[in-house]
Amino acid sequence: MAANDVTTEVDGHVLSLSNLDKVLYPSGFTKGEVIDYHARIAPAYLTHLRGRALTFRRYPNGTESQGFFEKRCPGHRPDWVAVALGPGDRKGGIEYCCVEDRATLVWAGNMAALEIHAPMALAVDLDTPRAVVFDFDPGPDTDIGDCSQIALEVRDILAAVDLEGCCKTSGSKGLQLYVPVNTPGLTHDHAAQFALACGQVLEKRLPKRVTTTMAKAARPGKVFIDWSQNAFHKTTIAPYSLRARSEPTVSTPVSWDEVEACADGDVELRFLAGEVVERVAEHGDLFEPVATLEQLLPG
Amino acid sequence: MPRPVWSGTISFGLVAIPVKLFNATSKKSVSFNQLDERTMSRIRYRKVSDDSGDEVPDEHIIKGFEVSKGRYVVVDPDELEPFIPAATRSVDLEEFVDLGEIDPVYFDNAYYVAPDANPKPYVLLARAMEEAGKVAIARFVMRNKQHTAAIRAQDGKLMMSTLAYADEVVDPGSIDELAGLEDVDVSAKEVKMAESLVASLTDHFAPEKYHDDYRDQVLDLIAKKAAGEDFELPEATTEKPKIVDLMAALEASVEAAKTARGRHPTGREKAAKAKKSA
Repeated sequence: MAANDVTTEVDGHVLSLSNLDKVLYPSGFTKGEVIDYHARIAPAYLTHLRGRALTFRRYPNGTESQGFFEKRCPGHRPDWVAVALGPGDRKGGIEYCCVEDRATLVWAGNMAALEIHAPMALAVDLDTPRAVVFDFDPGPDTDIGDCSQIALEVRDILAAVDLEGCCKTSGSKGLQLYVPVNTPGLTHDHAAQFALACGQVLEKRLPKRVTTTMAKAARPGKVFIDWSQNAFHKTTIAPYSLRARSEPTVSTPVSWDEVEACADGDVELRFLAGEVVERVAEHGDLFEPVATLEQLLPG
Repeated sequence: MPRPVWSGTISFGLVAIPVKLFNATSKKSVSFNQLDERTMSRIRYRKVSDDSGDEVPDEHIIKGFEVSKGRYVVVDPDELEPFIPAATRSVDLEEFVDLGEIDPVYFDNAYYVAPDANPKPYVLLARAMEEAGKVAIARFVMRNKQHTAAIRAQDGKLMMSTLAYADEVVDPGSIDELAGLEDVDVSAKEVKMAESLVASLTDHFAPEKYHDDYRDQVLDLIAKKAAGEDFELPEATTEKPKIVDLMAALEASVEAAKTARGRHPTGREKAAKAKKSA
């Protein structure tokens, strides 16, 4: 064991942490701080991770280096880390890591699994998404303010069919709106078609500002509503996940008030790890309805 | 450039593949010379008679095998000659096995097998073995000794490890301390704790992580002394891992990172922390 390794016990699980002082972000944020964030944010983060076949994006050499996606849960995982079969490759199902407890989040942090990407479905029922996701991706000359304006438009469409949704920043440039469903019977196809239909309404209404076509996503001035994120094999950055950027930004749940303020250009929705811990301490988990609220999609 | 330690051919069916062997590892221990402290003269060994203490010239030195205490069977080099394996210069592939079947205790010295002249048959054999995932068991003679070896293909190259003979492996039953281990009582909880510790330390093998610290420190000491510098003897330390609380483990590191950065993403948290630790 290297000299700067430390053996610790998290909720009854012994695990060894290595290279805590290693700087993973150009801003100076270290692996110790990543683990610290994971340990502190765990109560809220876990709500949205539990029961899912998760994809890790690991950056053992920091966010300026090439990270790698890890779908298959590493063979050297501790035996208390749960795994679940998820969408596979040609050879069949893949055993993904599940993050069921704080110790596993700490372990993931120690592996520099900065980003955790989650499918919309739980591992026990891969065919049933728990929510519909609208991924607002800002094209050239647009930013999260434009995304917020479009998200508010989508909120109005949802309200017309008695649906509620919650927004979170992507932690990168965009914004995501989740519509909780949490009822049996929803398919990935239905979820995707619903998101596409909502997007197309807006595309028709605001042709200069919205596109639902991937090929037009790069056109200046447009927000791309990526409805295809609802596909069976797709994952979306999990709420409260760190992002691998120059600073430890987090995919942060935000209130509709904040989305409105951002749409008006009053605030920029961009939160770093430490701030997100404080937000949760103050406001609780703004994304909680996504895990609990039961709604039915029309059609 | 390393020099080959052996050259010959791998015989495989009707194919003969000319190869050279190179050492795959080189020992790097620090070796000292013995000196007379009064004169700094080198110490030399002399072959002396146990009885008289007189030096015995080489021509009078013969080989004897001690069959019982004080009784020797004298063997003349000529008598050994017929038994010395013919230096056939051939590596005969006997069979192919799975690498996992070979217990690591059998592995002895490692060599790179390199093609001599036309590399094509070599490349073919390496690819075929890598594809099949098999290891060849071979016999060959090097430095008058008959060796058994395992040849494996890795990244298109062949590697060879000489193998110990089965009767060279010490029977663990001959070690008293290893007897009766199966009767030791351990609780399921203790096992679980131990397993959990093993799991937490489980990683991929990265040989570059490990160094001969002793050698590095000794060489450092020598370099400093050679340069006429003072060298402070470090205190010998024996470390045992202790289990620390997670937040306690992180606190120092997190604080250090914040200090190093000179600011924290949220000024508020920094202020709160500073007050607490003051």
